[in-house]
Amino acid sequence: MNIISVKDAVFSYDGTRNHVDGVSFDIEAGSYTTIVGHNGSGKSTMAKLIDGLLELKSGEIFVDGLKLDLEHLYEIRSRIGIVFQNPDNQFIGSTIRDDIAFGLENHQVKSEEMDALIEEYSRKVGLFDLLDKEPQNLSGGQKQRVAIAGAMAMRPKIIIFDEATSMLDPKGKRDVKRLMAELNDDNRFTILSITHDIEEVLQSDYCLVMNKGKVYMHDTPEEIFKHGAELKKIGLDIPFIAQVKEEFRKQGIKLKKNDLEGVAEELWQLNSNH
Amino acid sequence: MKTAVLGKYMPLNSPIHNLDPRAKIIAMFLLIVAVFVPQNYFVTLGLFAIILICVIISRIGFKYILQAFKPLIFMMFFLLVINILTVKNGTLLASIGPLSIYTGALSSTLAVVTRLVMMIMLTTLLTATTKPLDLTLGIEYILGPLKIVKFPVHEVAMMISIALRFIPTIIEETMRIMNSQKSRGVDFEEGKLKEKISAILSLIVPLFAAAFQRAYDLADAMEARGYVPGANRTKYRKLAYRFSDFVVIFFSIAILGLSIASRFVL
Amino acid sequence: MAIKFKSLSYVYDYGMPYAHKAVDSIDLAIREGVITAVIGETGSGKSTMVEHLNALLLPTEGELEVLDYNIIANEKTKGLKNLRKQVGLVFQFSEYQLFEETVIKDVAFGPKNFGMSEEEATKKAMMALKLVGLDESYYELSPLELSGGQKRRVAIAGILASEPKVIVLDEPTAGLDPRGAKDMINLFVELNKKFNTTVIIVSHDNEMVYNYCEDVVVMKKGKVGFHGKTVDLFWDNKMLEDFNLLEPQIVTFKKYLMEKGFELKKEDRTIEAIAKRVAKEVNG
Repeated sequence: MNIISVKDAVFSYDGTRNHVDGVSFDIEAGSYTTIVGHNGSGKSTMAKLIDGLLELKSGEIFVDGLKLDLEHLYEIRSRIGIVFQNPDNQFIGSTIRDDIAFGLENHQVKSEEMDALIEEYSRKVGLFDLLDKEPQNLSGGQKQRVAIAGAMAMRPKIIIFDEATSMLDPKGKRDVKRLMAELNDDNRFTILSITHDIEEVLQSDYCLVMNKGKVYMHDTPEEIFKHGAELKKIGLDIPFIAQVKEEFRKQGIKLKKNDLEGVAEELWQLNSNH
Repeated sequence: MKTAVLGKYMPLNSPIHNLDPRAKIIAMFLLIVAVFVPQNYFVTLGLFAIILICVIISRIGFKYILQAFKPLIFMMFFLLVINILTVKNGTLLASIGPLSIYTGALSSTLAVVTRLVMMIMLTTLLTATTKPLDLTLGIEYILGPLKIVKFPVHEVAMMISIALRFIPTIIEETMRIMNSQKSRGVDFEEGKLKEKISAILSLIVPLFAAAFQRAYDLADAMEARGYVPGANRTKYRKLAYRFSDFVVIFFSIAILGLSIASRFVL
Repeated sequence: MAIKFKSLSYVYDYGMPYAHKAVDSIDLAIREGVITAVIGETGSGKSTMVEHLNALLLPTEGELEVLDYNIIANEKTKGLKNLRKQVGLVFQFSEYQLFEETVIKDVAFGPKNFGMSEEEATKKAMMALKLVGLDESYYELSPLELSGGQKRRVAIAGILASEPKVIVLDEPTAGLDPRGAKDMINLFVELNKKFNTTVIIVSHDNEMVYNYCEDVVVMKKGKVGFHGKTVDLFWDNKMLEDFNLLEPQIVTFKKYLMEKGFELKKEDRTIEAIAKRVAKEVNG
């Protein structure tokens, strides 16, 4: 079943050119899709269009069976949680506790039920012990985890990550990425992640490559990284493991494994066979 | 980086910290009125003693309170000069050339300064013992009745709490932009008027640009999490008066009453 | 010549009850003409340390030798403004420092502050913009119209226009896309090669540090944990653990291969070199 369906979407910020230029794609319910593309490729705009924060010039978007229009806007938004790029600019409450409560208050959850929910979601992101901390005492990675808890607490079907790891240090990136993979484990949430981090693509089910406002490729990561040269042409990297396999291919060795340890093992076996 | 902000909350545990924010706001308001009711020295002294006891109970320490007085020193001096020039009652203390100093000038300066000192002690006491969050909540409750005349109480409270939340972030940002511009040769301390203006512009323009960006991002984040201005929301934090809160308010009313009555009796 | 920290300490809010010692009696000599990375966890004192290099912070104790200046704690040093011209400091998210109406004016702002004439400053600004890869079509644009990556290049040009001998950058690639980040790093490599500029990069990006920075300083709790060759740091398991650092993937890969039994040399630092060496063994 497709939970998101985008049909011929066109959008322009200023009317001079189309920043999203006839984009169509479908997202399977419960899947984890990464969207990559260099700055200005239209990928962040796509996220805002799906949540109705921006309005389409033409085309249609369906979310969870509902057509995105004024009538369904709030209903659709309640089914989507978004984690944005800048950890500071989405921390609304004065403490972690209050920030998670913010969304609950908007959804008119009863006051007596909030503490239990806050506990549940803060535990999921590993921040239960820091509930009364203020944002200035938290690292970027911790703030992003708060944002994730805040998004989950609204019990959405879809969570969109809009370059959510790009301002974090390596530890913060790693923690948030692990959390994203965990969220998708039982396929309860559909995950859509707009990212610069090419390594993250490896943990997703599908990858959508955007270039100049259009869909350039939409496939599994494995298939996508077979086209290394084309990706480089549009300013994208390929993951380390794909680079390794590429270099060995140039030396006439074809490798099958998709992790570094596996590749080392595979090479050693090839060596022993000789 | 870690400069103390005037009126910053001090995370301690004291009977005053534990009071309901509404009780504290009301009590502070009543006591400030009491301080400014014209009165004789005994009453002033009594009020001062009460405030002093509150400061001791709150455990925030005099060092912290003294910091708040720094801006007052200049004002005190200014007041003194004006009073010396204008007030000519009481007995003559000294005369230097055409200038004569009367005791009246000193006593009226002292009267104003002691009141300002007491007012600052009271406000510092409130902000140092109440979390910004609770303060906003208190204001929201107190202003609650204004909802009847369509005053957007909740929105105003939300604005105040967001403003408070972003103060540290914006201070940090200001420091960073100042340092960036200093690295480009800007001198914020000295320079001719033209250079001063350019220095200030180099700070203010980026600060505003960043603040707008922040505002847009924040609006997106709030909308994405289901915030609709004016719509019904439930409340996570609720306030509840306790016995001690009534006692505090009762005493504050009594003190105000006594200081007003003292004008007629003493 | 080198940039020398001599038992230098810095205390925020000195004398206050909440005083905080961010840099604790460090001794360090950073080589000139080399790219040095400064790494360490948030709050380890990296930023405090580098803010001494152009006298934004003055030492609470100890002293600092940089270029011809000798900055000693509690003593007044003359000509600090000229020091700021020679040591350019680029802060994190430097795109937020732009404020003039046009790109060219913004880049010329620094040189003008350092006493150059309008004409001279504009000439230097043009040269600096060329260095960061922005041609004359950008001169008259408003900085606010540019993309994030372009804004950052303009901000860096604003420092380069003063022709500093030392350039210090705090997280210069944070938030850029892969292509933007690579262009940025190549710019510093080029500056270092062409003009022998001393480049000091504060970063969390260990992959970048490993690939581009010859020397590395690791800060830990206000002290220098390690200072030396980058290769020596990332090949030392104990140090990686002590300093809580993530190892670059190439190091991980090389370690896996060596554990299996492949013999690799120290100079095999790229995937290409490793692939060639291993292929030789496998293909026999």
